[in-house]
Amino acid sequence: MFANRPAAEEPRLAVTRPPRRRLRRVLASALPVPVVGLVLLVASGNLLLPLRQVVDIEAKMASKRDFFQDPVVERLLMKHGFRVRITNMGSREIAKQDYEGYDVVFPSGQPAADLISRERARANRPVLLYRPFVSPIVLATYREYAEVLTAEGAAKRLSSSGGRPMYYTLDMRQFLDLARGKRKGAQRDPKDGYRWDEIDRNDHVRNGNKILAQTSDICESNSAGTYLGLVAFVEHGNDAPDSEAEAEQLARKIKPLLVEQGLPSSERAETYLSPDGQSIAPVSVIYEHQFLAHQIGYEAEKGATDDERVLLYPSTRFVTEPQLVALTGDGARLGELVSENRELQDRAMELGFRSRNATSGATSDELTRFLTERQIPVPTTSADDTRAVLPSLPLLEKMIEIVGDCPDRTGNQ
Amino acid sequence: MRRGAGLLALCLALVATLLTACSAADGGETVRLRVLASPDLAVLAPLLGDLKAETGVDLRLDHRADAETKPADRDRYDLAWLSSDRYLRLTAKAATRGVQRTPTMTSPVVIGMKPDVARKLRAQVPGGRLTWADIADAAATGTVRFGMADPRHAGSGLAALVGVATAAAGTGAALRPEDVSCDRLRGFRSGQNLTADTGPALVDSYADHQDETNALITYESDLLALNASDRLDDGLEIVRPADGMVLADFPLLLLDPAHRTAYDKVTQWLRRDSVQRHIMQRTLRRPVNTAVTRDARLREPVGNALFYPDQPGVVAALLADYGDPDRRTTSQVVFLLDFSGSMRGARMAALREAFAGLSGGDLSASGKFTRFYRGERLTVVRFGERVLEEKTVTVTGPDDLTALARTVARGGYGDATAVWSALDRGYTTAARELAVDPDRSISLVLMTDGENNAGLAYAEFVRRHQALPTAVRAAVHTYPVHFGEADADELRRAAARTGGRMVDTAGSSLSEAFKEIRGCH
Repeated sequence: MFANRPAAEEPRLAVTRPPRRRLRRVLASALPVPVVGLVLLVASGNLLLPLRQVVDIEAKMASKRDFFQDPVVERLLMKHGFRVRITNMGSREIAKQDYEGYDVVFPSGQPAADLISRERARANRPVLLYRPFVSPIVLATYREYAEVLTAEGAAKRLSSSGGRPMYYTLDMRQFLDLARGKRKGAQRDPKDGYRWDEIDRNDHVRNGNKILAQTSDICESNSAGTYLGLVAFVEHGNDAPDSEAEAEQLARKIKPLLVEQGLPSSERAETYLSPDGQSIAPVSVIYEHQFLAHQIGYEAEKGATDDERVLLYPSTRFVTEPQLVALTGDGARLGELVSENRELQDRAMELGFRSRNATSGATSDELTRFLTERQIPVPTTSADDTRAVLPSLPLLEKMIEIVGDCPDRTGNQ
Repeated sequence: MRRGAGLLALCLALVATLLTACSAADGGETVRLRVLASPDLAVLAPLLGDLKAETGVDLRLDHRADAETKPADRDRYDLAWLSSDRYLRLTAKAATRGVQRTPTMTSPVVIGMKPDVARKLRAQVPGGRLTWADIADAAATGTVRFGMADPRHAGSGLAALVGVATAAAGTGAALRPEDVSCDRLRGFRSGQNLTADTGPALVDSYADHQDETNALITYESDLLALNASDRLDDGLEIVRPADGMVLADFPLLLLDPAHRTAYDKVTQWLRRDSVQRHIMQRTLRRPVNTAVTRDARLREPVGNALFYPDQPGVVAALLADYGDPDRRTTSQVVFLLDFSGSMRGARMAALREAFAGLSGGDLSASGKFTRFYRGERLTVVRFGERVLEEKTVTVTGPDDLTALARTVARGGYGDATAVWSALDRGYTTAARELAVDPDRSISLVLMTDGENNAGLAYAEFVRRHQALPTAVRAAVHTYPVHFGEADADELRRAAARTGGRMVDTAGSSLSEAFKEIRGCH
C-alpha cells in the first residue's frame, strides 16, 4: 500500500507517546467528599457511569465535529472510555498544519486525508484510516431562492408527498451559465453574470448580488475544494481533467466563477442556519448531513420541519467520504469504535449522515426509515443525475492553488 | 427544625461552591490571557468578571484604536477580539491563515437618520426602499450630513466604506481593482461632517454634535444603544440600505495556540445561551447562538450582505481615495466644451442632457453616485474657433447648478474647433486656481466632436504645457471625451501626455462618458 515509502523499516502503527490514561479531574477532586462527588456526577450528566478510566483524545477536525460534539455521541464515547478534545479548522488546513501531538485528525473528505496519509507514509509513519459514514455535497438555500431558480428553469422540484418540496435538483450547467452571463441560449458579456434581481421578475428575493454559490475558503476547506471539483467536472464536459496542463487551464477558466464571492467566510453551515443566513448568503455549499441534522432537530423541537430552508441537489452529484485518520493507538481504537459500534452508527444516522454502503447516491435504508418515521421528506435521487469524478489528488491540489491563490503546502518536503 | 434547615443550607452552599470551583477551574489555577481588543468590545467589560469566575480564564483586554488595521504583535497578545478580522485577513494573509476564529455576535453596518430626513428621502424613492445611492445623492445635495468613523482606523468606518464602494460599483460581486473609482464616492464623501478614530468615540461625538449632523453610519448595535440612551433629542431611524451591507461578526482569534484550552473554555462560555442573551441585552448585537430569542429590535432582516473584496489592493485604493475625513480639500473640474457648429441639434441636446443628469436629473444608481455635489467647484469653458465663455461656480445649492446649466444652454456656436487653444485655457485656469489653493484637486474634461482646425496647433499646446510649473503639470490631468468626428489618436495622445485617459462615447452616450470621468482617476 505504501509503495513509495523508503525501505528499511517495517510498516507499523506509529505511537508517538504512551497513552495518557488519567482519572477525570472532577472525580479526583470529588473523592474525599463522596456525597458531593455524587452530586457532581449528577450535575455533569455522567450519572451511574462505571468509574473507569477515560482516555483523552486530541483531535483536529472540520465540519465533522458536528458528530463528535453531539451530546449523545459524547456520552456514548464516554461510555467506552473516550473523551475527544477538538481543535477546529478546515480540512485542507488540517492536512497542511503540523499534527504532531494529535491522536486523530478527521478531514471532511478524501483529498485532505490522502495528503496526510501520503505524507506520513513518506515519513515512514503510516496511519490507519476509518470511514465511518458519508455525506453528499449540496447547495443549501431558502424557499424563495429555490423558487426563483425553478421559475428560471434552472431548478426542478423533487417529488414530494403533498406540501411544499424540501428538495430540488439544480441543473449545474444552467446555474453556471447564469454566472457566465448566459441565459436561455443568449450570451452577453461573460464577465457580466446575472444577478438575482435580473431573473426574479416578481421581486421575491430583492437581491442585486450575482447568482453564485458561496463556499468557505477554498484554501482551507474540503467542501469548497469539492465544489471546485464539481464545477470543473461540469465545465469540462462532465469529465475530470487528467493532465496537469488540462487541469491548470481549466482552473483558470473556472476561477472567475469561484472568486466573485470575494473574501470567503468560514462557518458556512452555521451561517446558513442562523436567522440572518438568507441575507448573508442565499446559496451555500454545505454537506447534506448538516441540513438533515437541522431538519431533524427542528422537527423534534417544533413538531414540523423548517419550511424555509431547502436543498438544491446539484445535477452532478458527489458524495464526500470523511476519513478519520488515526495517528496513535488510541486514535485507532476510537476510529474502530466509531466505524463499528452500532449505537454510534445509529446516532450518526440521526445526525443526518449516510452509512458507508450508501455511496451509490441512494439514501440508505436506515436513514430513509428514520426520516420517514419523523415525517421528514426523504431526498430521492433523480435517475438523470451524473456522478461527478474529482481530479486526481495532485491535479486537484494544483487547481485549488490556482483558484484560491493559496500558498504552497508547508511542511511537505 | 430550624437547625436542620440551616444545616441543609450549609450543605447546599458547600455543594454550590465546590460545583463552581470544579466545573470552572478544572485545575484550579486562573489563566490570564492578554487580549488585543477593538474599542467596540469595551462594552463587554462587565462580563469578564463572570467569565473569570465561571471558567477560570481572566481576559485582560487591551483596547487599541488600531486593533483592526494593524497585525497583532504576537509577543504581546495571546488572543485578539475584534469587530471584524477582514482587514487583517486581507493584508496579513500569512499571519491569519489557520488562526482559530470564533464569531461571538454580529451586527450590520447601517445608517441611522433623524426621522424627518428619513421621511424626506423615502418620499423621493419609489417604494421607500432607500439605497446607498440615494444616501450618496442626498449627501451630495447637503440633505444628509453624516458621521462615520475614520475607515483608516476603525472597523465600522472601513466596513461602511467597502459597502458604499461596492454598491457604487454596482457589479453585484466583490470589488476588483478595476472597479475601484473614487469618482463615485466624492458625492457621498462630501456629506460627511463628523468622524472619529473609534466606534465608541464616534457615538460620543454624534451625541455632542447632533445639531449639526443628521445621520450616523455605524453598527446597528451602536444606533440601537444610542436610541435606548437619553443622549439624543431625536431618535435615529435605522435604515438598512437595500443595495446591501457589510456584517461584522466580532471574532475571537487565538493568536497563541499554546492557550487553546483556555480559548476553548472562553468561546464555549461566550456562546452559551445565557451569556449570549446577556451580550445581546448589553450590546444590542445579534446573538450567534440560534437558541436565544431575539430582542424585537433585532428581528428586522439584516439586509443583503455585499461580497467583501478579497484583494488587498482594493482596500488600499479605497482608503487612499477616501483620504483623511478631517482634512477635506476642494475638488474642481474644468469642463472644456466644444460649441462649434457641428454640435448643433442632437449633439447639443445630448450635452445638455449630460449636464442635467450630473446636476441631479439622472435617477439611476450610477447617476446618484456621480452627480455634482455641494462644495465641488465647477468651471465650464465653451469654445469654438476660440474660447467663447468661461463660467465657474462653487456648488452651494440648486441655484449654482442652474447657473451652470444656463451657460451650457446658451447658443452662441463658433465657426471652427480650437481644441488645443481650449485645453491651453484650461491649464491657465487650473494654474491660477492652484496658485490660490495649492491643495485643490483639479482635473480637465475636454469634450469635442471634431478635429482641431483653428487656434493653437497641438505642438504649440505641448510646448506651452511643458512650460507650466511642474506642480501644475503633475497634478492636473486631462480626460478627453471623444465624440462624433473628433481625432481619437490625438486626444489619446493628449491624455497620455497629461496623465489622464480618453473616454469614448461610441457604444455608450455622452452622459455615460461624463459619469465615467468625474475627474479623479
